[in-house]
Amino acid sequence: MRFIIRNITDKIFTSLTVLSVIVLVAILAVILTPILWKGFSAVVFTGTIEFRKMQLDLFNRGDIDRLNNENTSSQSCRKKIYDTIDRFKQNIDAETLCDRIARIYRNFGKELQRKDVQGAEYQRLRSLSREIRDKLETTFSSGDKKVIDENIKDVLKYKTDIGFKDTSAMELFALAEDFAADIKNIDLAKRQEYADALKDFENILTKLLGDNPSLPVPALKMDRYGATRLDIAQKNLYKLLWLEKWQQTSPGKPMAKIITPRAELFAGTEIGPLFDYIRDNLDEMLIPKRTFYWQYLIDGSTPGHYFGGVGPEILGTLLLTLAAMVFVFPIGIISAAYLAECSSDKFVIKIIRMAINTLAGVPSIVFGLFGLAFFVLYLVPLFGGPSKPCILTAAMTLAALTLPVMIRASEEAIRSVPQSYKEASLGLGAGKLRTFICVILPAALPGILTGIILSISRVAGETAPILFTGAIAFGPTPKNAFDPTCTLSYGSYDIAVGDRLASLVPHNQYGMVATLITLVFCLNIAAIIMRAKISRKLKGH
Amino acid sequence: MEYNKVQMNTEPKADNRSLALTALEDFKGFAFYHLGRFSLFAVSFSTVLIVLLIFFFVFQQGLPFFKNFGITEFFTSKQWYPEARKPEFGALAIIVGSIYVTIAALVLAVPAAILTAVFLSEIVSHKIRNLVKPVIELLAAIPSVAYGFFAVLVLAPFLQAEFGLSTGTNALNASIILAIMALPTIVSVAEDSITAIGRDLREASYGLGATRFETIFFVVIPAAHSGIIAAIVLGMMRAIGETMVVWMASGNANQIPSPWWDLTQSVRTMTATIAGDMGETAKSSPHYQSLFAIGIILLVMTFLMNIISEYFLASAGKNSRKK
Repeated sequence: MRFIIRNITDKIFTSLTVLSVIVLVAILAVILTPILWKGFSAVVFTGTIEFRKMQLDLFNRGDIDRLNNENTSSQSCRKKIYDTIDRFKQNIDAETLCDRIARIYRNFGKELQRKDVQGAEYQRLRSLSREIRDKLETTFSSGDKKVIDENIKDVLKYKTDIGFKDTSAMELFALAEDFAADIKNIDLAKRQEYADALKDFENILTKLLGDNPSLPVPALKMDRYGATRLDIAQKNLYKLLWLEKWQQTSPGKPMAKIITPRAELFAGTEIGPLFDYIRDNLDEMLIPKRTFYWQYLIDGSTPGHYFGGVGPEILGTLLLTLAAMVFVFPIGIISAAYLAECSSDKFVIKIIRMAINTLAGVPSIVFGLFGLAFFVLYLVPLFGGPSKPCILTAAMTLAALTLPVMIRASEEAIRSVPQSYKEASLGLGAGKLRTFICVILPAALPGILTGIILSISRVAGETAPILFTGAIAFGPTPKNAFDPTCTLSYGSYDIAVGDRLASLVPHNQYGMVATLITLVFCLNIAAIIMRAKISRKLKGH
Repeated sequence: MEYNKVQMNTEPKADNRSLALTALEDFKGFAFYHLGRFSLFAVSFSTVLIVLLIFFFVFQQGLPFFKNFGITEFFTSKQWYPEARKPEFGALAIIVGSIYVTIAALVLAVPAAILTAVFLSEIVSHKIRNLVKPVIELLAAIPSVAYGFFAVLVLAPFLQAEFGLSTGTNALNASIILAIMALPTIVSVAEDSITAIGRDLREASYGLGATRFETIFFVVIPAAHSGIIAAIVLGMMRAIGETMVVWMASGNANQIPSPWWDLTQSVRTMTATIAGDMGETAKSSPHYQSLFAIGIILLVMTFLMNIISEYFLASAGKNSRKK
């Protein structure tokens, strides 16, 4: 009996260890899958005509003729929407209508003067048109359909008056007739509600289709184009079709989400059928096409990373990494050589080793504090540089941070060179220096390269040390080492929590992080493969 | 013949130099050797220099704070209002927050990490081990900001929806991610120390009829305990010094969770306070110096942990060498 229990415990324990490893692999998959998958969609996606317009305007890229053709067909499809909205807006907006009437009335007066109409006739037409104007004004601002019908009937009686023939006053009657026809289905008491709902509707429509071509171009670049991608277009279409409201259904309960079709707000009006029209003709209006946007990796971006790519961030990361490597590479290799080759200085080496371990344990944010206090505020000004965060200070901070990685890897590489190499070289009469440079270093090079790759990946991914020493979220391309720079790492932070605008474009959010992770992973996988090769070689296979 | 000519030409020139070195040559060699050695030493010593500079500059900027405001308020008050007209610098909640998420992370990470280490060193073949190791290395390689990104945009909404929380960025979220980040460190150090335990102990245990569980649990792990302690301390260092994840995922609310076991409340940590506040401070203001004071505490904490871990690693090395 006891044996069985022991056996079962053993089995459970074994399966627990297996489970923990499976969990580990699952964690990696759970973290990577959404980030890489959504990040990938920043490069490969279904782009709409708005995307191609944006590319042409902002990045001067694409086929103008084909785009113009597409634009013509798309606009012809969109025209119906804009026309309907314009008409509807006119009819529910009494003020604009009254303004128009007043304008026509004034024009008519001027026309009469120009035509030199005399005396009593002039007086008659003037007072008549004034009467029509007043009547129409009361009509337009009235909410009662009966009053409107009567007034319009009264007004239209004068249409046949000989004095109005072929004058601008005919516009008055046309307007009145249109109005009478259009408002048949509109509940005029709900004018204000219609106006509000229409405003929402138009806002979402702008996000879907871009700005109305008849209006002036918006100042902000992000307002100029509609949904650049099909997934965003569908999201906006959903917002357009359905109205989400948070409502308290019963007291004491949390608010519940209630979803109603937006078309209900416009029930009975000519806006109503527009919803179906937009839904059915979305493809014709947006002309989606499979897009491979590799320029994501080189393009700059508009504020908030709304449009564009991560070009400046990649450039900044590369610059920073290169600059840090300039410091780390020589110091790292020389230190490793000293630790591995001059092991007779036991006390000094013990101190240096302790320093390396301490350095490896210092929290990255403390490196940031150190970089700020030492490099930014003390060292660079000491040599006459500007006392502000810049690439140079960030690179030096990162170099200090990654030094232990470099030294440890290089030392291990140098130590793993077989002693026989060294003995053969010394035996042939080479000096110590020559032995090191010509024999040991080449043999240790793959291992050292692994160390370099690992420190590059560390430098590229670190954020906390460069927060105060040279990273910015958005800015001009750095001209020299004394300018701050955007980096992928700080950009990832900023795009996730710093910028509200970025949350509207999740593909760009994920794209930035996916680029960073891909970069770091490629480096690490290269290092892993290299190390495997070295160990195989050392084993003599 | 042609052939002979070539042979004649390639014959080495006779070197007529005497084998004994002249005094000058001897001195030159001596000087070069020691000069070279000294320059190597000088460059290598830069690491020590950097460590000293870090301590010097962080203390130089932070110590005036303790001089001006004393340490009682800093360590006992929970009121952190550095920009108020009458500023208050009570960092108790911040320090507790750091320790809180770190311990929570370790509670999650240590069992999984030790099980994984046992799995890698005791249970599977070399082949599978070579497949799993890169996974752990990749987990360690993911930049902390990417973990933070995941915490904010994926984990936080998930937690909020799944558990009906008022906010997804809380101590639980930060602890989970910190646990994942501390895992690779703990696994690799613990695995090394478990592997370093010799075969003889295991064979003796198996020979006495113990099962694998008993061998690992009662023999191997006790024998490797110092290495495992070092691994846990190193994991702790990684968790307490982590900035981006806690800054993004912990919610940054200056409070001590009450009741103490309620992980779903937001907390604020030392690293996040430094990262978040530094941008808004004026140089040499009390607020600026208080952040360096927090830096001092972090630095001292990690330094002590480093010494502890090195002590245990050294004793682990001694143990395995004895066998």
